[in-house]
Amino acid sequence: MAKEIEVTLNDNKVTGAEGMTILDLARAKGIDIPTLCYVEDLLPTGACRLCVVEVEGSRTLVASCHTPIAPGMVIQTHSPRVIEARRQIVELMLASHPDTCLVCDKANICELRKIAADLDIGLPRFRTRKHYFAIEDVSPYLVRDMSKCVLCRRCIRGCNEIAKKNVLGMAYRGFDSKVVVDCDEAINTEACRDCDVCVSLCPVGALSKPRKVEEKRRGKVQVIKG
Amino acid sequence: MAENTTITQSKETKDLLILLAQTQKKCGFLSEETLANLARTLDMSLSDVYGVATFYSFLSTKPLGRHVIRVCKSLPCHYKDAAVIIESLEKTLGIKTGETTPDGRFSLELTNCIGACDKAPAILINDDVHGDLTVDRIPQILQAYK
Amino acid sequence: MPEKRIVLRNCGVIDPRDMSSYLAHDGFKGLEKALSLTPEQVIEEVKTSGLRGRGGAGFPAGMKWELTRKSPGDEKYLICNADEGEVGTFKDRYILQNDPFSLVEAIAIAGYAIGAKKGFIYLRAEYHYLRPMLANAIDQARAKGFLSHMDIEIRMGAGAYVCGEESALMESIEGKRGEVRYRPPFPPTKGLFGKPTVINNVETLMNIPAIMLNGARWFNQIGTERSKGTKVFSVAGDVPRPGVYEMVLGSKLRELVQDLAGATDIKAIQIGGATGRLIPESMLDTPLAFENLLGAGAITVFNSHRDIIDIVYRTMEFLAEESCGKCVPCRQGTEVMVETLERFMHGEGEERDVKVLQELSSTMMLTSLCGLGQAAPNPVIDSLQYFKDAYESRIKARGEVKV
Ligand SMILES: Cc1cc2nc3c(=O)[nH]c(=O)nc-3n(C[C@H](O)[C@H](O)[C@H](O)COP(=O)(O)O)c2cc1C
Ligand code: SF4
Ligand code: FES
Ligand code: FES
Repeated sequence: MAKEIEVTLNDNKVTGAEGMTILDLARAKGIDIPTLCYVEDLLPTGACRLCVVEVEGSRTLVASCHTPIAPGMVIQTHSPRVIEARRQIVELMLASHPDTCLVCDKANICELRKIAADLDIGLPRFRTRKHYFAIEDVSPYLVRDMSKCVLCRRCIRGCNEIAKKNVLGMAYRGFDSKVVVDCDEAINTEACRDCDVCVSLCPVGALSKPRKVEEKRRGKVQVIKG
Repeated sequence: MAENTTITQSKETKDLLILLAQTQKKCGFLSEETLANLARTLDMSLSDVYGVATFYSFLSTKPLGRHVIRVCKSLPCHYKDAAVIIESLEKTLGIKTGETTPDGRFSLELTNCIGACDKAPAILINDDVHGDLTVDRIPQILQAYK
Repeated sequence: MPEKRIVLRNCGVIDPRDMSSYLAHDGFKGLEKALSLTPEQVIEEVKTSGLRGRGGAGFPAGMKWELTRKSPGDEKYLICNADEGEVGTFKDRYILQNDPFSLVEAIAIAGYAIGAKKGFIYLRAEYHYLRPMLANAIDQARAKGFLSHMDIEIRMGAGAYVCGEESALMESIEGKRGEVRYRPPFPPTKGLFGKPTVINNVETLMNIPAIMLNGARWFNQIGTERSKGTKVFSVAGDVPRPGVYEMVLGSKLRELVQDLAGATDIKAIQIGGATGRLIPESMLDTPLAFENLLGAGAITVFNSHRDIIDIVYRTMEFLAEESCGKCVPCRQGTEVMVETLERFMHGEGEERDVKVLQELSSTMMLTSLCGLGQAAPNPVIDSLQYFKDAYESRIKARGEVKV
């Protein structure tokens, strides 16, 4: 049996098993901390910083998805500081995200949109360059639109850890960082078949399934009655 | 859970960076073919090899000249008229920054502080630092690089 | 408080190529002393000395060593951080050029103390020209039998400022992209190749032989209550005598910048490089110490002709270029700041941009994965505090029509 550790979570004394992360514990206690790069079945990476919480005595906020609980920790998961930070992190992601939600395949299931709505994000305050990458639709198995990518690395980790194919990798640096296939080719390799792991992991519209030809939807004629 | 995750934060890559640097020294740049060979030798995915090759600014996946001139553009050099040096190099070589001379002799690049700010403006040519640079010294300095 | 040479004691005195000249100046006497003690006693000396890290963060060196020593496992590593990428810093270069032997001796002592059989010197690619002399110093020390308990290997960087950050540096030695790791676990528990690791700056290590030789008490007498010993500074920018100066900690910035480097016209000073502080002339009497102002020792002076917005913009551009790109606040935040400052550069800033910059600064500081993103807002915060008029004069007048 793992050792029990006592911490203070949002003013309540609770215990968790040694080795648990703050996020594990919070979720076990029914507290919802938003996450984006974290997925239960994958190793944490700490990239998005959305899951930050306040830990007493720490100079910075602490990412809950990869920080283990320690005896005596005093944690606040929804303080005003935390909420403001999360809100800005989402705003920062949206700053370089294309405004194509209207026609995006994942619009209704987009995690970024959901998180933005949950955090009540208003009009954009931040501006950056936008990424323009050609849509990669040469593969029969998936379509990539890297301009929508938020660099959560879920696809890379899924491909490595679940599918064990190692097709995807991270390339370049800083704002130019990009998830690539080989030497930044459009995805269409022998290694990549229809396992769908990455498509199902992608929180936004960057990875999706190609539409089958016969499924081509037609716009419905709208009749406006006078 | 956080335990036993550290070492797996990224994948094992052995001596990839050393090999990339050696290959670049030997071949002048890192072609897709050399990267693919390296990936095969190290039993890594090409994506991961390409990822390392494109992270570091001294590694290049595009052909470079025999000699690479890197002009420091950081603040101390900038305020010692690095722009004049850049302009003069561009004129002398007949290329813009980021380009290579048609004869393949020089590539001209900008770089961040090279730790020679006491001798600003400073440039690196291959591994050599040239500091306290003036426009009139440039032709003579370039002569040493055939 | 005066100049004082501890770290630079041999610079210009010995021949950096010749071991015998180093030996004639007490070379390897510190190691001899250390080997006559137990590793625990060596660590105790370093702890008593009060030596703190010179690479920027100021973490007590002895404590780091002790944590690593006590971590379970036989395989441990010592890394000397010679990546020196901070804009305006060249003190480690000066040290390596003039006294590579002391560094080798220091690594040998540190390795003995923490129980590392392998040490790495991570040298930035820009300093490739220093490699032969450093390798020569290691070879000579090995030949003389000073490295019988450990080996030292030089590893080259490949052009990435963020690789000076300890976790990115370790990723780089492991052959990977220089991306930052989350912590905990910290290097003394799980560092290079997952093993307990000490990572110290060149200058931190350079103090070790002298501490061994003269004793912790001697070192502890120098400096201020919380900052012991000296600090080596690289002074550049608008000064007549740029260069490397070593001063007792707690000395005034004025003594360094005006008395030694000879600055006369000062508008602003950047202390600690791109991620450091940007302060006005009125703060020249601030003591240089961990409790006040320090950083890694880069001092860049800007005269009255320099434009604050230009300084901040170029600094932010550097940070955006050098961000590893792993975490959102740093990757996206530095880009937003560059975009905003660029508009100010063209006189097109808006009133509300100032507020946006302030709020974003706080988020970047609080949530970034490593010190780069956490400190990236410093030039913005400081310029808004001390040079607000620079922004105000660039705010676009609303409704103004250009003819
Ligand atoms: C972006 C960034 C760059 C850094 N660059 C350097 C560097 O070039 N040299 C250095 O010694 N420390 C650098 N550091 C600090 C290291 O992370 C680490 O704290 C230091 O090497 C520890 O050594 P010390 O305790 O002896 O100071 C950097 C930190 C950050 C966040
Ligand atoms: S703060 Fe910047 S450099 Fe550090 S991990 Fe985040 S993106 Fe990388
Ligand atoms: S969910 Fe924790 S950092 Fe992304
Ligand atoms: S600023 Fe050019 S060498 Fe440092």
